[in-house]
Amino acid sequence: MSRPASLELQAVRKVFFPGTANEVVALNGIDLEVPVGQFVSIIGSNGSGKSTLLNTIAGMYPVSSGCVLLDGVDVTRQREFQRSRLIGRVFQDPTAGTAPSMTIEENLAISFMRERRSGLRLGVTNRRREFMRTHLEPLGMGLEHRLKAQVNKLSGGQRQAMSLLMATESEPSILLLDEHTAALDPKVAATIMDLTAKMVSERGLTTLMVTHNMELALRYGERLIMMHEGRVVLDLGPTEKEALQVSDLIDMFHKVAGEAFAVDRLLLE
Amino acid sequence: MEAIITSGLEQGLLYCFMVLGVYITFRVLDFPDLTVDGSLPLGAAVTAAMISGGQSPWTATLAGVAAGLCAGFVTGILHLLLGLGSSGSAAANYGAKLLAGILTMTGLYTVNLRVMGKSNTPLLGLDGVFEQIEDLFGVAMSGWNLIIALVALAVIVKYVIDWFLRTEFGLCLRATGDNEQMIRAMGTNTAFTRIVGLGIANALVALTGALVAQQQGFADVGMGIGTIVAGLAGVIMGEVLFGERSVSWVLFSVIGGSIVYRLLIAVSLRLGIAPTDLKLLTAVLVVIALSIPTVRKKVVRI
Repeated sequence: MSRPASLELQAVRKVFFPGTANEVVALNGIDLEVPVGQFVSIIGSNGSGKSTLLNTIAGMYPVSSGCVLLDGVDVTRQREFQRSRLIGRVFQDPTAGTAPSMTIEENLAISFMRERRSGLRLGVTNRRREFMRTHLEPLGMGLEHRLKAQVNKLSGGQRQAMSLLMATESEPSILLLDEHTAALDPKVAATIMDLTAKMVSERGLTTLMVTHNMELALRYGERLIMMHEGRVVLDLGPTEKEALQVSDLIDMFHKVAGEAFAVDRLLLE
Repeated sequence: MEAIITSGLEQGLLYCFMVLGVYITFRVLDFPDLTVDGSLPLGAAVTAAMISGGQSPWTATLAGVAAGLCAGFVTGILHLLLGLGSSGSAAANYGAKLLAGILTMTGLYTVNLRVMGKSNTPLLGLDGVFEQIEDLFGVAMSGWNLIIALVALAVIVKYVIDWFLRTEFGLCLRATGDNEQMIRAMGTNTAFTRIVGLGIANALVALTGALVAQQQGFADVGMGIGTIVAGLAGVIMGEVLFGERSVSWVLFSVIGGSIVYRLLIAVSLRLGIAPTDLKLLTAVLVVIALSIPTVRKKVVRI
């Protein structure tokens, strides 16, 4: 088991298609320190660099400059699969976090071996099945009785709950949630969000949650970060956050961004 | 009639290892691997060359299988190198997979000629594994005896693959073909799992090559042409006819598909279809089988 770690970004820049007409500066010098066990919500409009930030931390692509440190260790040069042993991720698409044609127990077995090299032992054993049941039961979805069901037979909410469970199984150093409730219907989204909050607080996970939904950002997490054009433009702690309303947040955005605020999904949700 | 059935069964069982290999690449790894057209004759060439060089047929067969394993590794490594330069889009990735297989297949043509030193190596009067089994047990390795021996081998190989796909590494390998992004996020080096998977698949294909060479009494550089299409035909027929309710089951289905396909060929030959027309017939069969789901959807919509 690894354990929750601190995260530090130092002057991270990410430029896509550098030197071409399509050049995009997605991250423009991000400095961020997240202490162990902190739950951070990240908001921002489309193209502000939120998702790029998570993908950069996960090592999906190399940074243009700057460093990423986990527990003070520089992991900038580590490849994605190496870093993944320490990082749990849940994506917006509920189909992204599980292997669809494999069974529930096979998927969970994969998450059990995240940190060590997989060997030629059987992946699913009776002992592991017991362990799986005890982990599936708290989800309250009855999945503990359907271990041999193929994951593509599950609903979006059930699959996202599985993804969340698999991402947190070995207590990752960092948990990265990329709009992980955005594709679900409101009731299911609320269930998944409650599960998320429960798992994060129970295990004291260092968590970064990207969301379009300002209300979610205000309700969950101890810290709120707003991004705009590849920069962190607002960084609020728990006390400042508590006093805030969605409308305050929109006003702040206007002030900080200094331009007309695009009426997009932010307001609709 | 019995002759058609026994020859169909024999061929179906000899080629079922190749079909299992194609199943692993196409279905498990989601990798359309064209290496097989080269790795089947590679298995045959290495085995035949070693037997005619005086080696034990068992060693020769093992060497043939090992050669196939290496051919698969080469394709996996080429895919990794080609993929690094691609844009990472699904289409580019698919292209890299096809190209990697084609490159290895093309290179193997030369390798096979070099291994044999000529385009055909006869094994007349030399002992293969089947003759050695005859000597050992005192039964003729032909007809139903041969079929029973091949069934036994097919069942053993089936259960070994079945077990392997349920090990921790096997689960990672299946997830590599099922949801690569997710298994990478779980800390698996998918380049490695893919290379190993391709190696195992091509080892199975080479096993068919080694056995076929010993059964028909020669290895020929052209014997691999159309392997991929015949393999796909076996996989698809197996899935359609016998179902795919679980991995364990589908492995049996695929063996069944291989047998049905070879029985069809045996019947076609008996009906007077020229052997030269078989490849076109197979290609048409695969096209029909592949288009069934699309056609079905269209019909439902109308």
